[in-house]
Amino acid sequence: MSAPRTSPLDHPEVRQASAWRYIAGFVSSMVLMQAALLVTLRQHLPYQEYILTIGGLALVSLLSQAALFFGLDISRAQIWKSVSLVLTIPLFILSVGLTVWMFQSLADRTMLMPMTSVQPTLLE
Amino acid sequence: MQVAIQGPWSPLFGRLTLDAIPYTNPILIATFAVAAVIGLVVVGAVLYYKKLGYLWREWLTSVDHKKIGVMYIILGLVMLFRGFADGLMIRTQQAIAIGPNSPGVMGAQHGFIPPFHFDQVYSAHGTIMILFAATPILTGLTNVVVPLQIGARDMAFPYMNALSLWLTTAGAILVMLSLFVGDFSAAGWVGLIPLTELPYSPGVGVDYWMWAIQISSIGTTLNAINMIVTIIKMRAPGMSWFRMPVFTWTTLSTNIIGLTAFPVLGAALALLTADRYFGAHFYTAGNGGNLMLYTNLFWIWGHPEVYFLVLPAFGIFSEIIPTFAEKPLFGYTTMVAATFAIAGISWAVWLHHFFTMAAGPDVNGFFSVATMLVGIPTGVKVFNWMFTLYRGRLTFTTPMLWALAGLFLLLLGGLTGMMLAIPAVNYTVHDSVFVIAHFHCMVLLIGAAMFAAVSYWWPKVFGFQLDEKNGLMFFWTFIAATIIVFIAMFALGFEGETRRLDYIYDPAWRPMLWTEEAGMLLYCVSIGYFIRMLYVSLRDRVPVPSDPWGTSRTLEFLTHSPVPFYNFAVTPQVNTRDELAWRRENGLNNVQPEAFEPIHMPSNSGIPFIIGMLSLGFGFGLIWRIWWLAGFALLGIIIAVIIRSFDKNLGYELSAEDVAAMERNLSSAGIAAEQPARTPLTEAEAH
Amino acid sequence: MSTDSPPATGARLFHPHFAGHDQISARTLGFWLYLLSDALVFTAVFAAYAVLNNSMGASGGPIASQVVDPVEGLWQTYAVLGSVATYSLGTVALKSGNKAGVMLGIILSIALALIFLGFEAHDLLGLLAKGDGPSRSGFLSAFFILIATHGLHMIFGIIWMLVMLVQIPTMGFTTNVVARLINLRMFWQFQATIWVLVYIYVYMIGAF
Repeated sequence: MSAPRTSPLDHPEVRQASAWRYIAGFVSSMVLMQAALLVTLRQHLPYQEYILTIGGLALVSLLSQAALFFGLDISRAQIWKSVSLVLTIPLFILSVGLTVWMFQSLADRTMLMPMTSVQPTLLE
Repeated sequence: MQVAIQGPWSPLFGRLTLDAIPYTNPILIATFAVAAVIGLVVVGAVLYYKKLGYLWREWLTSVDHKKIGVMYIILGLVMLFRGFADGLMIRTQQAIAIGPNSPGVMGAQHGFIPPFHFDQVYSAHGTIMILFAATPILTGLTNVVVPLQIGARDMAFPYMNALSLWLTTAGAILVMLSLFVGDFSAAGWVGLIPLTELPYSPGVGVDYWMWAIQISSIGTTLNAINMIVTIIKMRAPGMSWFRMPVFTWTTLSTNIIGLTAFPVLGAALALLTADRYFGAHFYTAGNGGNLMLYTNLFWIWGHPEVYFLVLPAFGIFSEIIPTFAEKPLFGYTTMVAATFAIAGISWAVWLHHFFTMAAGPDVNGFFSVATMLVGIPTGVKVFNWMFTLYRGRLTFTTPMLWALAGLFLLLLGGLTGMMLAIPAVNYTVHDSVFVIAHFHCMVLLIGAAMFAAVSYWWPKVFGFQLDEKNGLMFFWTFIAATIIVFIAMFALGFEGETRRLDYIYDPAWRPMLWTEEAGMLLYCVSIGYFIRMLYVSLRDRVPVPSDPWGTSRTLEFLTHSPVPFYNFAVTPQVNTRDELAWRRENGLNNVQPEAFEPIHMPSNSGIPFIIGMLSLGFGFGLIWRIWWLAGFALLGIIIAVIIRSFDKNLGYELSAEDVAAMERNLSSAGIAAEQPARTPLTEAEAH
Repeated sequence: MSTDSPPATGARLFHPHFAGHDQISARTLGFWLYLLSDALVFTAVFAAYAVLNNSMGASGGPIASQVVDPVEGLWQTYAVLGSVATYSLGTVALKSGNKAGVMLGIILSIALALIFLGFEAHDLLGLLAKGDGPSRSGFLSAFFILIATHGLHMIFGIIWMLVMLVQIPTMGFTTNVVARLINLRMFWQFQATIWVLVYIYVYMIGAF
């Protein structure tokens, strides 16, 4: 129960800080976001392909943040964070994905008029 | 942006006026009188015996996981009694208000509860039983037992543990307050939408329901974090993952559910809050709202929540059955795998609560199959328990009887659950009392597990045995009552009785309704035996050895009874699964450590209690729209957290001589003993 | 199981001087679990947004492409990721116990966060002034709550940073302070990660 007798500044959580990783994280995230913005503004892709492209860019950006900013890996100091994140990700996907699916099904079957949409969304 | 509300509002008192006190309702007057008398007796006794200081120093400010667990269980038992009183009122109303010629008293046309009040009674019954009775009792049990089972000295975050308790208590107090100040929600414990929206529920009832759940569920989430970190980080040396007792495993999985599901409930209620307080349109029937969105979000939490409750119950069975069969648990690894399989599947089944929403057959089919999949790991568990019993040396003590009765209820509730998982069947019996009977079998199996656990671990915590004779009577009357009430209810469900009826239009249901009422009276008898069991045990106080049952298998029975506040004088080394059984077989169970060493302990803190009471003020202010009260309470909470962060107290150190003295005189370290003031350490000394 | 265990002779039964757990690791893991639960709160709000983000939900009011500006959103993204980067670089100074470096990182981080919140407040107040507040339609309710939930987290982060600016000089780098600084780094990075999701889903897909 007692606190470790070493200085708190020697803790692996402190030691893992690294300037190059943070700068790389910032640059990579911003480059990816700008690429996504460019794809959005040019509007030359069909909706499905656009969603896939931009979703892919978002995924890469999230991965780079997890690795570079959060410093997640499978070392002793970080393993439990990585494991808990991996176990939780399915829950994000299940709750949003199944919700969208069931409401899409609901809308198809219960809305009297077809949705006159001005703009495509995930539900439609 | 504040929305228009009905009735008067003043800056000082918000919506609160004298009319909010229901002084004309005889039931509530009587309830208030009883509550006031009990309250006066308790306060008077504390003052008369000059125990106020003891209560504050040793309980209200305590960060000891065992005391916090015991307080959780006391809170849960009080709320369980309140929830039972609600259940008794529902059943009695339905036993009286049958047919057009049935009598009516106290303002009701039929029976004795007018419809609006009846709606509040069943809403309160559900909310209390799930969130303020079952959840605190199980949280309390895991709090008491898990740190001991893994050989830890306390939880990972003792201070946050106390905070969880007091937040849950604040929520429970809000529910109780709604009896005497204003109304409770009349929209069911699930918050039937759009009935909970401001135009249809203009009073404060829904607000009480909403804030009570919101505040207590923050406490539950914090407790889940605490429990997971404790299990991951604080195990004794040698306690590898697959040497952990199954109760610890189920606690881990249940708290993973708690950690991830309760935030969704919080969000669902926060969006309802936005609707009611800012006039947003999340769940409204018009203006672009979508009322099924609420039902969806609620059950994303709601289904994992029922596994949140049932998994610790499975863990309790897995501890008790091997102890009283004198055999190791059959299929330990499959038990652990089944536990996590149930927890995982629990996230993909929630639509079965609203099959009739009108989603397509593919959606209903998916959720139906997912629901049935739960039957596989549950079946694995049942067979594991049966094979543990097979050729065991069985002793039918009270905890064992509760566990076996729990298995029976699991079978009954589980098989009817499989029926409900079929959408075609579900369309027929949806919203009938068949569903009610099904899930009451499930929650009463959890209840059976809770009573099993209380009688199993009571001697460990308090150092004396619970009275076996009254315990057995309590068990038999309770189980008989359960069977009488719910078998009749299954029958009524097939006859087409829908749930939440304040008036019974079909007199053909009378025999079964009266049978149910007879069962309810038997429940009252069983409560009498429960109280007598406590009274006799407290009066006689038969002391017990460290292993009161003589056949226990896990680490918590290695240390003394009552457990000293530092748990283990010297941290045990774990050599195998079922460590205590192994030590007993090798004649090592009475070996004591040779020398003692100083123990570092956390200091008590009043801040969790203060934050709990401030959040009660915050909730009360928001319910009655007393903005200044809510604002100051929130500010107070933030300031209290900041003050705490500047606290330099790093706990205190028990010297080896103190530990040795307490090991010689065990009662001086037990749960009821008062500890002398000890000087805290500062940062400089810790390094 | 008990029968196949090694013989008891010489088995170690107690572990004196067991060091116990390491505080900073326990606290960072606990805080990480809190972040995961907070992520579930955002998941629920995103799910609500996904359900309400259509022409039915807009109820005749403005739709996503009329209320978001992805180019302005890029500046916000610069601000929030920049804020995270400056804070994180501050924690590099923590390795050498450099108080001034850590505090400089925090101050820069607060400044960038305020710029971000300024953009956000400007957007939301503009919509309110036009009468397109959360009470206009289901879609706008979801939009406001999503943005405001994230904004509230940012405000709490700023309060936390202010507390740390007092604690670093007065208390020094004690175990408690260091654990808080590391948790704050995770909290702050988490807000940026959520913002990236909001930016992609609400601002970009919304504007498409």
